[in-house]
Amino acid sequence: MRGGIKLGYRPEFEAALRLFAQVSEALKRRGFLAPVLVGGAAVEIYSNSAVNTGDFDIVTARQEEFEEELQLFGFVKPIGAGRATRGWIHPDLRLGFEVVSAQLLDGMADRDRVRLIDVGVEGEVAIVSVEDMIADRVGQYASGTASEMLEQATSLFILHPEADLDYMDRRIRYESGGDYGVADLQSKAKGRPAR
Amino acid sequence: MVLQTSKVRQKAVPLAEFVADVDRRKAETGITTLPRNAGQNRTPSKRALLKAIKDLGGDW
Repeated sequence: MRGGIKLGYRPEFEAALRLFAQVSEALKRRGFLAPVLVGGAAVEIYSNSAVNTGDFDIVTARQEEFEEELQLFGFVKPIGAGRATRGWIHPDLRLGFEVVSAQLLDGMADRDRVRLIDVGVEGEVAIVSVEDMIADRVGQYASGTASEMLEQATSLFILHPEADLDYMDRRIRYESGGDYGVADLQSKAKGRPAR
Repeated sequence: MVLQTSKVRQKAVPLAEFVADVDRRKAETGITTLPRNAGQNRTPSKRALLKAIKDLGGDW
């Protein structure tokens, strides 16, 4: 803790991140591109667990091979009534992984902007860019079904002043059907500690 | 170590460095929590996965 701020990631999330790195490295050794983390777990990465997620949403064109590796690392398919899911769970970590797409944000995100994090001996993880994550959140807000996503987007915007505003603006406009842009986040962030 | 994620090869940021940067910004801005996903847009598959995690005692 520092000044009332909880530091770093919660332990079980960091453990899952390290497992994801091992699975990513295994796929790479087989000659495939690294899977990319998106969704709520990416928000947890970019906020150091200021929000907690129950599962890792993964983008990979190699779902079958990715899931083969998950099983080698102890993941199992939930079984039983009401458990028809494409996801996998790790009984010890009590976290899940699910391949949600073969393309990064429907192919609209720039794959060259994917953020790589070296977690140590386990290897590296690939995370969708913070610009794309913010745009995704604004897009969900603009759809009218997820009002909380604007606050998530604004907080990430404030926490990541290094973000490329031109790229972010293009992506927000695409994801929101042209209804929103960076200026809307700047306006919402006004009066809060500066980016 | 360099991980290939696209046609270009990028340099990875060490986890400790990344975490320290975000922690510093959290301290500067006072942002301690973000609102949770209300779950309105979850697919049936996602709902089933999250229920299975909860049944295992997952607390998130």
